[in-house]
Amino acid sequence: MRSHSPFPIVLAVIGALAASAIPVSALSRGDPAIGETIAQQVCVACHAPDHRIPSPIPKTPVLAGQHEGYLVKQLRDYRDGKRSSGLMLGFLDGLEAEDFPHVAAYFASLPPGPGVVTDPSLLELGRELYLDGNPERGLPACAGCHGDEGEGSRRFPRLAGQNVDYTVEQMRRYATGERTNDRGLMQTVADRMDEQDILAVAQFVASLVGEDNEETASP
Amino acid sequence: MKHQSLHEGARPDPRSWSRPVTPRMPSLLVLACWAAVVVAEPLPQPHAPGIESPDYVWNAPNEEQLRALAHEADPVNGELAYAVCRGCHRADGAGRGDALYPQLAGQHATVLIKQMVDVRTGRRDNPKMHPFVAEWVVSTEDVADIAAYLASLPIPTNNLKGPGEQLAQGRILYERDCAICHGGQGEGDAEEFYPRVAGQHYSYLDQESRLIRDRGRRNANPEMVKAIAGYSDAEIAAVSDYLSRLPTDAQ
Repeated sequence: MRSHSPFPIVLAVIGALAASAIPVSALSRGDPAIGETIAQQVCVACHAPDHRIPSPIPKTPVLAGQHEGYLVKQLRDYRDGKRSSGLMLGFLDGLEAEDFPHVAAYFASLPPGPGVVTDPSLLELGRELYLDGNPERGLPACAGCHGDEGEGSRRFPRLAGQNVDYTVEQMRRYATGERTNDRGLMQTVADRMDEQDILAVAQFVASLVGEDNEETASP
Repeated sequence: MKHQSLHEGARPDPRSWSRPVTPRMPSLLVLACWAAVVVAEPLPQPHAPGIESPDYVWNAPNEEQLRALAHEADPVNGELAYAVCRGCHRADGAGRGDALYPQLAGQHATVLIKQMVDVRTGRRDNPKMHPFVAEWVVSTEDVADIAAYLASLPIPTNNLKGPGEQLAQGRILYERDCAICHGGQGEGDAEEFYPRVAGQHYSYLDQESRLIRDRGRRNANPEMVKAIAGYSDAEIAAVSDYLSRLPTDAQ
């Protein structure tokens, strides 16, 4: 195991505090063209701009068409240690905080596409849970926050077309408390689903196309 | 611009974030950073004294409720903030009669604010709902905005009705014991925080009324507990059925 100096952490936290003084709108007015240049160097080897190109790394999310505000928040959370990923932390060394909105704007500007359904037999169960939830277990319909077509909003991420293995992995992380950067909402949701439910919903959202991301401006 | 190689040796160890590095760098910032990673469970619903407490005062003034009531509500923000409610209470605020999710559309904003604040503070037990209305999810202003948005929605009329067999009895009981607070047409009273009950789902009215009678709903009004203390389950069902069918279009 590599030994880590705590100094980068301290710097990251100081940076986070400094960045938090900047209004969100200023941080998230990204320029997709600037973002593209940066993404070509840092991001696209794993997060391909074309959803049809599979990532060489398993459990990697499709970012094309994702909401800009959500992407900026995730980048900041990785940097601040509020969301963990061994891989992302390394690549963040290649990004400055002021790059985040540009990179986010670039991915938000890309056309989303349908994902790959790996088990069509689960689509019906997935659709039922996604649109109706499970009242007995207090499971809300996913559509409530993420939209009927999985399109997301300024407040919640797009799910339409997402990779099944990424969705399943994130739900596992919510359930175990490894991912907590969402005000506890998805932890609660994950606690109220079993493995079959999660896999089924992941299949269903992969099948969704979602409407175009009309919101590329600030949250 | 650096570019991290994907080789195993160069990969940062994800566990380094949850490792207690504080002894080497005793900084509160680092500690806060570390704590943010290891907190795993959302906090449970808090508990506040309710009707079981000897000094319980129904609708006693509390700071958050006063702030929410004083907030100049913004229904446009309310619609956005309502997203976390929509998964259960539905986009049109109709709730679900088959799932005991109450209809919220057209309810008085004061009532909605009181009930949300009571769930947030733990005077009304609702562990299913609490994670979605907790203070770290919606702000006090959001609570007021959501309430204003819901109050502005048209009341759906396809709510769940009862069996329709004891409506005359339901009407007699309602007018004798309930109408003085909830109004002749079940319209409630916004100023008094009395909910509109006309057109609510039969199942929800029935369940909550029994809960109130049995002192299980801890934020209940003791006047109502007294008023229906002698009611049988069948009488509560009759009143609930009657109310579920009261017209709401004139309200």
